[in-house]
Amino acid sequence: MSEPKVAIVTLTTALLVAAPMGPRLAAQIVSKLEAGQYTVSDGALPMSAIRFAPTFEWYRPYAKISARGSAFLSDQQLQIADGIVSGTFTSPTVYGVRAEMLGNASRALDDRSLGTDQVDVQTRVHVLFHDYGGLWFGGGVARPWRVAVVSSADVADAGLWTKVGDLTNTFGVATFTTTFTNFSFSKIAALHDTMSAAMSCSSSTPVTNVAGVVSAMPALSVAASTSDACDRQSRFSDLEASVRWEFGPVQLIGQMGHRFGDSYDVTPDSRRWSSASATMWISDRVALIAGGGRQPALPLRGLPARSFGMAGLELAYSPISKSTVPVALPHTVLVRSFETRPGANGMEKIVIRVGGVEGVEVMGDFSDWTPLTLTRRGRDLWELALPLAAGVHSINVRVDGGPWAPPPGLPTIRDGFNGEVGLVVISRDKGGH
Amino acid sequence: MSLVRGLASRLTNIAAHPARCAAAAALALAVAGPTLLRGQEPEPDRLAKLDISSHYAINVLMDSANVEGLPAKALRSKAYEGIAKKADGRQIVAAVRRELIALRVARVQLGDVDDEELMAAADVVQAGGKPAQLSAFKPRIKNRSDLQALTIWASLMARGVPTEDASSAISKLWQDGADDATFQSLWNNVQSDILRGLNPGTAFQNRIREAPAPSRTPPSKGQPPEGQQGVREGSE
Repeated sequence: MSEPKVAIVTLTTALLVAAPMGPRLAAQIVSKLEAGQYTVSDGALPMSAIRFAPTFEWYRPYAKISARGSAFLSDQQLQIADGIVSGTFTSPTVYGVRAEMLGNASRALDDRSLGTDQVDVQTRVHVLFHDYGGLWFGGGVARPWRVAVVSSADVADAGLWTKVGDLTNTFGVATFTTTFTNFSFSKIAALHDTMSAAMSCSSSTPVTNVAGVVSAMPALSVAASTSDACDRQSRFSDLEASVRWEFGPVQLIGQMGHRFGDSYDVTPDSRRWSSASATMWISDRVALIAGGGRQPALPLRGLPARSFGMAGLELAYSPISKSTVPVALPHTVLVRSFETRPGANGMEKIVIRVGGVEGVEVMGDFSDWTPLTLTRRGRDLWELALPLAAGVHSINVRVDGGPWAPPPGLPTIRDGFNGEVGLVVISRDKGGH
Repeated sequence: MSLVRGLASRLTNIAAHPARCAAAAALALAVAGPTLLRGQEPEPDRLAKLDISSHYAINVLMDSANVEGLPAKALRSKAYEGIAKKADGRQIVAAVRRELIALRVARVQLGDVDDEELMAAADVVQAGGKPAQLSAFKPRIKNRSDLQALTIWASLMARGVPTEDASSAISKLWQDGADDATFQSLWNNVQSDILRGLNPGTAFQNRIREAPAPSRTPPSKGQPPEGQQGVREGSE
């Protein structure tokens, strides 16, 4: 079996095996598999292919590890297109400020002969204005391999977001995000025969440190072998705006962007782009997805600009919410319902419904007031099985690391610490309420 | 067989790359290490997170509870709750002391009942319920739990329903044989009225009038009070 096939089979198997283990682990595991028809108008991919995109996430309140990839089936050949492994650490919020550290390792295979790799690390500082807006700024370094970039790229970014509406009202909730990202790096430029191209080079010496590139990129190997290439200091910036609108079972995502930079660094087909997608949940675990638009070139990952269209199905054992806000937010009143049901083996199952969030925790006398993470079982469904003894139990719930609050629909009393707790009564002969 | 051979071949292939082996081992250690190490450590006393004087005071209060036959686990839980909610030591000691006092009052009023009932009654005392009114719950009735009634009583007072109104109405409902669903439904209705902006006292008065009048269960018919026969009749 070829390496791409092994990787795809392994990732898919991991999703299927790991998802049912969720309740037994302290951390949260979520996964989804997207499959559908994918059509591109340019680039090295086949014109039309069936796309599989498995995603896997493991996270605790302040740390997250995720793996995702996509593969295409075309002409009876399954080939991996790209894969990325990410780790994120987030600090607790202190006076509305949160720090975030991100690391990514990715591989992209644009066709069967050309593969590129990249490792990047980045830190960000987030300033949150309760749960209706915020901003962030940060910077980091990205190191690509096997592309026409011969240095580490300095990446600086900043962004603003705001949230309008509420999941409980008719029009749902919309999140608007604006980001600005600047990339600065040295790349190999072909000199051709124009003076301006030559002047844009920082060094006119023949490029000698491109062995990895030469083997992977035939066009550059010609330039390098004839000394018609040079190191060039490149810089470009992306300004992007996006909106995510969620109401009922429908999620709409739209984004558009503009790339700033001179003509040597930004190709005309990557100056402007826009795309949109719609997700319609037909059950807690199945959704229809359709979308299309244009993606800009990603020089650091060696991916060309392309237009695409796709329609497919998302099969989610534990679906991941698509968050355009890059840091988990504290939420207060989004929990829609809470109940306990008798579970298997004398356990009680806590069932909470809350949508558009990354994590839900409960704590109470039953856990000696240690937070327990619920497992996502559907788009807005979270569950946890507990051995609750008969009696009255105090309980608090929190969403995305926000403040502890009593669950809705439960009798409450004051907790003696300027807050409230919910009370769950578990009868001896039957489950709770 | 070919699958086994293929797997063996891949493992051999991986073993031939020491860097990959080292990376895989480091990843496995990073993921499994903390869990394995945690399993070897004894459970730390979380009360040790408190300052020395608060820690000492809570230990004294728990010792008192043990000596008096009161559930010290309720005090420990209250202290853990305070720690989890990042309350300061003085606040935690005060909350634990209030819990102990409420448990004592509940014990005096209810006598020798189980810990769960005692703690539910302590919640009522802490919410402002008059101790004497707890005596309505003193008779033991077979197959009937008063946990829901006590919980709703405490919660109504915490929501702002006047203590006297809540106490007399809940006691009467209980004595009339109301079931758990009746208490829960009363709470749901009052809560929704309060959320709509109604004064808690008014909301409660309106809803208690609508509460179904349960058929009284005579103690002599099938469900005799355990060891407290006659108290129910006397209290009515």
